[in-house]
Amino acid sequence: MKKLFSIVLVVVLLVSMLSLAGCQAKTYELAMITDVGDIDDKSFNQGTWEGIKEYAEANKITHKYYKPTEASTDAYVAAIDLAVSSGAKVIVTPGFLFEEAVFIAQDKYPEVMFILLDGTPHDAAWENFKTGPNVYAVVYAEEQVGYLAGYAAVMDGYRNLGYQGGMAVPAVCRYGFGFVQGADDAAKELGLAKGTVKLMYNYSGDFADTPASQTRAAGWYQAGTEVIFAAGGKVGNSVMSAAETANKAVIGVDVDQSAESATVIASAMKGLAYMVQFGLKEYYAGTFPGGVAVIAGAESNAVSLSPFSTAKWKTFSQADYDSLFAKLADATIVPQKDEGRTDPTLLNPQYITLTFVE
Amino acid sequence: MEMLYLLLRQTMFFSIPLLIVALGGMFSERSGVTNIALEGIMVMGGFAGIYFINQLQSGMSGQLLLLLAIVIAVAGGVIFSLLHGYASINLKADQVISGTALNMFAPAFVIYLARMIQPSGIANVSFKNTFLISKVPVLGDIPVIGDIFFKNTYITTFVGFFILIVSAVVLYKTRFGMRLRACGEHPQAADSVGINVYKMRYIGVMISGALAGLGGLVLTIPISTEFKGAVNGYGFLALAVLIFGQWKPMRILWASLFFGFMQTISAAYSAIPFLLNLNIPSEFFKMTPYIATLIVLAFSSKSSKAPKAVGQPYDQGAR
Repeated sequence: MKKLFSIVLVVVLLVSMLSLAGCQAKTYELAMITDVGDIDDKSFNQGTWEGIKEYAEANKITHKYYKPTEASTDAYVAAIDLAVSSGAKVIVTPGFLFEEAVFIAQDKYPEVMFILLDGTPHDAAWENFKTGPNVYAVVYAEEQVGYLAGYAAVMDGYRNLGYQGGMAVPAVCRYGFGFVQGADDAAKELGLAKGTVKLMYNYSGDFADTPASQTRAAGWYQAGTEVIFAAGGKVGNSVMSAAETANKAVIGVDVDQSAESATVIASAMKGLAYMVQFGLKEYYAGTFPGGVAVIAGAESNAVSLSPFSTAKWKTFSQADYDSLFAKLADATIVPQKDEGRTDPTLLNPQYITLTFVE
Repeated sequence: MEMLYLLLRQTMFFSIPLLIVALGGMFSERSGVTNIALEGIMVMGGFAGIYFINQLQSGMSGQLLLLLAIVIAVAGGVIFSLLHGYASINLKADQVISGTALNMFAPAFVIYLARMIQPSGIANVSFKNTFLISKVPVLGDIPVIGDIFFKNTYITTFVGFFILIVSAVVLYKTRFGMRLRACGEHPQAADSVGINVYKMRYIGVMISGALAGLGGLVLTIPISTEFKGAVNGYGFLALAVLIFGQWKPMRILWASLFFGFMQTISAAYSAIPFLLNLNIPSEFFKMTPYIATLIVLAFSSKSSKAPKAVGQPYDQGAR
């Protein structure tokens, strides 16, 4: 029995070694490394991967995604190593969590191009910043699309707003800061007395759907909040659940979330696929825009509210949206960024009552 | 007043799953088997129930669907708990290790499974919530009590209380309950009078699997629109409730209501002007149930009501 078992084991080992060797013969030119979520997170990973896939299939380029063993810089670098050894020429990394990994890998593999979405490469201590000639770093102007959402909500007649962020990471803060400023400017424009528009503001501290987040949202809705902008991954699902019970509204985030719940009146979207494909096109044209960190906002159509075909605005019209969007695109309106701040009261809004729930 | 009612209703969303799962843990531990696999079993049961709803919701909805999903979640939990039973009763493995293994296995397994069986290939199993009862006829008109228990509620709340009553009766008033407790206190003595300890422990573990599986479904329904292999530590919280409740059904009820209410306050205090103006950090509210648990444990550790033989594999030959 024991002998048989060891023979079987040896055969299994041999077969798996052979199949591994077989794998390595195949190379993939485009690689993506996933961050903490899965490839189907309906958010960053998925949006980015769809962009890569579309471009690669149209141009018949081999492509593959790699899932790191864990969410750490070491694991990300290991995944990049694996991708390079499998023949990757361009590696796409979605999310600011890759900042350190790309900082390390850009010197390790100078011949490989990196597209870093939503961040700029820096070392672990945040002391050395370097975007090498082989790195195209894209930072989204979340504050612009947050601004659009806040402005549109107030213009559409909502007076009690809520912002439910996830962890207080820079992107989440920018969304919230933009939302506050947009609501404030809309209140000013409508000439509403101070206190007419109220805004509750919270970071849940996680990206999970929990009874706590559902309860917080239910409490706000009960206390009069009409619409909550939920920017925190699955925290949004809890907010949607509360909204369904209370029959209130939600503004979704990152991608068009209108299919997830009938309560989603609009979504603040980032053009992930668009920016990835832009980088890839430039690479294959021989003009890879490396060495710079690009802030992608309205001017390059990298951020937008979800289209009016899926949105449920009452009075806010396409024309209103277009004129506001144009002002953001030509920098007539420049919402403040987070700049390391998490506390929205520092924005000191003049026309709305802001309650920051710590 | 409406806000108070809302808070009490929200408390149920926290407390009922904790109550159900802690009662499940009680049956297992009272039979002598430590069950820290509650978290993993919740994930399994939640997945089974939610996937069932996901598949059938195009053809049916409402309470019947939910009741059927409850049956499925219970079945899923029972089957999964048998792994723990086999390892800790037949193989006499370390029950903590077996439980930990199941906790690590369950989330990964259900995500893998969701990917395999869903045509879209995604890990999230979405569901439409058609189960809210906006008002129970007649009972909903009772002042105060009607507002708290019979408006904007779920049938699972009543299932939870029903399970509590049945558990208390079974544990204290039936021959089975007495035998189960005997197996957790002194299995050798139980065996000497002809009780099949292995069988009783299997039943204890299976009841805990049934209730924990149900708890996973009950937790997920009111708070999300999809399930993705996680119950966010509520299985471990239920263990704390079990210990806080000193392995007794009624005390477990009070413990789960206390935990639930404190969690509700910590999440919703921002909607209550009075609490918001006190400027107490939300961490304070979040800490309270745990600090209370530590204090209670510190004072009651000498007279702890933990079953004497919990965690020890029973070996008939070593009698």
